[in-house]
Amino acid sequence: MHINTANWHKYMALPAFLLFSLFFLFPLFRGLQLSFTAWDGFSTPEFIGLRNFIQFFSDKRALGDMKTTLLFALGSAPLLNLCGLSLALLLNSGFRGRHLVRSLVYLPAVISPMIMGSVWYLLLQPQRGIFYLWLERVSVEPGNWMLHHGSALILIILVNVWQYAGMTMIIYLAGLQAIPEEQYEAAALEGSGRWKVFRYITLPWLFPSIRINVITNIIGSLSVFEIILALTDGGPGYATESLSIYIMRMCYGNKTGYSTAVAIILFFIIMVPVLITLRGLNRMGESYE
Amino acid sequence: MNKKLMTIITLIVTAAALWAGGKQEVTELSFFSGRVETVEWTENIIAEFQALHPEIAVEHEYQNDASNVMKIKLASGEVPDLTTVVTQDFIDQGIFMDLSSQPFWNRILPSVKDLCTDLKSGRQFKVATNVTMGGLFYNKEMFSSLGLKDARTWDEFVANLEAIKAAYPEVDPLFLAGKDSWTLGHLIEFWVHGIIKQELGIPGSRQAFLDNDLGNLAFDVPGGLMESFASALLELQEKGLINADAVTATYDNQKEAFASGKAAVINQGMWVVGDIIKLNPAMTTNIGFGPFPPVMDGYKPMVLTAEDSVLAVSAETADWEAVLTFLEFLFSPEVQKEYCELRGMPSAFKDVQADWSPISGDVSRAVETYVNINFSTEAPSDLSVDDAGRLIQELLTGMYDSPYDFAKAYAAIWNAAY
Amino acid sequence: MNRLALSKIPRYAAVMAVTLAAVTPFYALILIALKNPEGGLGAIRMVPDFYLLNFITAWEKSRMGRAFANSLVITAGAVFLVVFLAGMAGYSIGRVRSRLNRVIFMIFLLCMMIPGIINTVPLYTLLIRLKGINTYWAMIAVLGVNALPFSVFLYSGFIRAMGGALEEAALIDGCSYFDSYWRITLPLLKPVTASVVILQGLGMWNNYAQAVFFLQKGSMRTIPLAISLFFKQYGADWPVMAAAAILGLIPPVAAFLLFQKFFIQGITTGAVKG
Repeated sequence: MHINTANWHKYMALPAFLLFSLFFLFPLFRGLQLSFTAWDGFSTPEFIGLRNFIQFFSDKRALGDMKTTLLFALGSAPLLNLCGLSLALLLNSGFRGRHLVRSLVYLPAVISPMIMGSVWYLLLQPQRGIFYLWLERVSVEPGNWMLHHGSALILIILVNVWQYAGMTMIIYLAGLQAIPEEQYEAAALEGSGRWKVFRYITLPWLFPSIRINVITNIIGSLSVFEIILALTDGGPGYATESLSIYIMRMCYGNKTGYSTAVAIILFFIIMVPVLITLRGLNRMGESYE
Repeated sequence: MNKKLMTIITLIVTAAALWAGGKQEVTELSFFSGRVETVEWTENIIAEFQALHPEIAVEHEYQNDASNVMKIKLASGEVPDLTTVVTQDFIDQGIFMDLSSQPFWNRILPSVKDLCTDLKSGRQFKVATNVTMGGLFYNKEMFSSLGLKDARTWDEFVANLEAIKAAYPEVDPLFLAGKDSWTLGHLIEFWVHGIIKQELGIPGSRQAFLDNDLGNLAFDVPGGLMESFASALLELQEKGLINADAVTATYDNQKEAFASGKAAVINQGMWVVGDIIKLNPAMTTNIGFGPFPPVMDGYKPMVLTAEDSVLAVSAETADWEAVLTFLEFLFSPEVQKEYCELRGMPSAFKDVQADWSPISGDVSRAVETYVNINFSTEAPSDLSVDDAGRLIQELLTGMYDSPYDFAKAYAAIWNAAY
Repeated sequence: MNRLALSKIPRYAAVMAVTLAAVTPFYALILIALKNPEGGLGAIRMVPDFYLLNFITAWEKSRMGRAFANSLVITAGAVFLVVFLAGMAGYSIGRVRSRLNRVIFMIFLLCMMIPGIINTVPLYTLLIRLKGINTYWAMIAVLGVNALPFSVFLYSGFIRAMGGALEEAALIDGCSYFDSYWRITLPLLKPVTASVVILQGLGMWNNYAQAVFFLQKGSMRTIPLAISLFFKQYGADWPVMAAAAILGLIPPVAAFLLFQKFFIQGITTGAVKG
């Protein structure tokens, strides 16, 4: 050990950061400039200042999409966390075949959401879907559930949760595995009830998992894209279109400059709940220590 | 630690191998294609070509999302030497080479050459090797059992559908595939724009689209074209002449329904024939081809005949000679005959005789009998076929208080797209 | 191991329900993949047609063999890169509360929320200049970089929660923080590493949004690009595409089963509080 590595740990984040700067931050910066232009994808960009951002607030379709996206996230993010945690708790204990079940739960996330979404459509399609027909046979009348904003959103949320709960589960599993056995043994000795064990031992130890899952799910739900495209294509009309879909359509539809501005607005829409949640969680975490 | 080392070594070796494998002394031609259906055939053709011309290497890139990828390429200043992705916007940007003086035009049908002409400059920046048709495909057996003929007016069309519904209650007279919004968008592009093309003629309508000067056929004229279309469609819906799940049915549903005899009429193009026959080979002799009905009185039925399989060359290509050599090979009658039969479309070349479809006789007859219309290539690119289709989804879901509201909404997004 | 001792029957019932819910759509996918194209999807039945030709067609037409190799190299490379860099970064951020680290962490966090589409064109231009189009290294770098924020977040969170007791012990023996990371901390982070590998590796394996622009040559295409071949101009060839999708998910599932072993208890034998 002739190299003195005593201080190296202070700078260990730099390699990651430098690579990140080159392949992410630098293009990001160039991309951001576009939001101040009226670029259509090929001619020279024309600087128009903040007009794109102002336009967003009078863009009915964009505002409608924002509402849809927020509603979706309000349903999807909490549900994902709940399901992920429940699944992790359920599948953490040792029973034979738990590896298999975990794989099965995780499996949907492995398959492209476009393809899985299309499979779901096969099952849920009004008047033709396999689930739909089965429901009709047991006299439940789902009606045209794809065509009403509310019911369509609920279906999309459920499919989304089905697709991604496995990923949330994995992180909770990692967290559960990190809890040392001694903690539980001590609690068992004391004779603590199940709920107390969960609240005072499991939950605090799960803190890093909760943090990353809540944040990832907020971000993921607000950025929802393929699932909606596969299930309803944003329809009927634009009723279930999400902001990410709108951005993509604008970007390739000659409104590249405007789409970048909307993307930045989406960033802020994501950032606010995430930062608030982070602060809230950190405060809760501190109260445990 | 051992595993990590192994991985690093593997990565380095792989990288080295890749780097070493790419050095040669040939002219490279980049060919960017969105035609994923014919990837295999294209690669075979390219292999044949390179056997004849080893000094030219054709880099074939095929993408499903070709138009999006093309936009990104252009945004970064990268134009492929040869491409199948051609739009009016790109032509306006001047990225394509002027092909007007090329000798192959002598072999191409004049009508196709007209369709390939850029109105703004009067020159050709793209070439098309095929012609595709669109119309109403109908179940021949059902039609002949009821003695039905091609509808010449809207009322006749409705009468046809009602006859089918009465005689075959389990069959959807007209099947719409609303979930795939482009199929609905085509209703507008063929039925509505078609009337504009009838009225103004094809060159006239192309110019009118460019200038957004549609006179009394403008979309927001009360009681006009678009309102008539909306009323017509709603009439079909009210009378139960379209499938009840029109907005959520998919293109696959549509093909299957038609192939299995559960739908009598569908609005489509020649691209659908091969798929239908694959679904049900018995349909080979049962597919009828007829015109689109006029949604306004005083107009005639129409059939879509449009240029297909277009190609364009980059204006900045470094190897014009190489491109030309490749095109010569590609356009040779033998190669084109294969392509026609593969795609099921007739050739744009006068000297190519191909047996391009089991229904070619009916189609040719329809093309000769009825008014020919083209794709709305000069319509504003910001308003895509999908967008128009989504508007119809809204119409069929009852989101508009009146057909006129629909017409106004369409006019609004049409005008905004200029 | 009945830590959260749910009595057996409700638990097994719940597990059955979960398994059923997870498997049903997947079974539908298998049905589609095994369907004879004649009659279309509307004619699908509960029992598969066993039309294995779809798999062969999928494999040959989309050159899946080549796509597998490409996906494998790229995903493995990128995952390795991420674990290496993010682990280090997470360690530093978790242990050293310097201004530098706080800024870096904040930037990573904020960048997680940025819609990816903003980067596309400038990144493309950058890669052209670096001659990275159609190369493994560029794809590995891009995918790795995209996965960094999440992974750094994950690592730093767990490392901070872990506490530095073990490392302190090593320090007394003369190790530096840097060395103790490799010798002590990282091995203890196996579940976290497994999570990163599984979650990020999956995203990389399925990556389409970047691959479609940066891997243009037929010989460089990855699995998602190969599958997309079956989306035609109008409509899609569902049975063959389903077959391709199933073929494409065998490696991730295999990797998952493999890495599951890291989700085992007992990493803190003899550790932490006395």
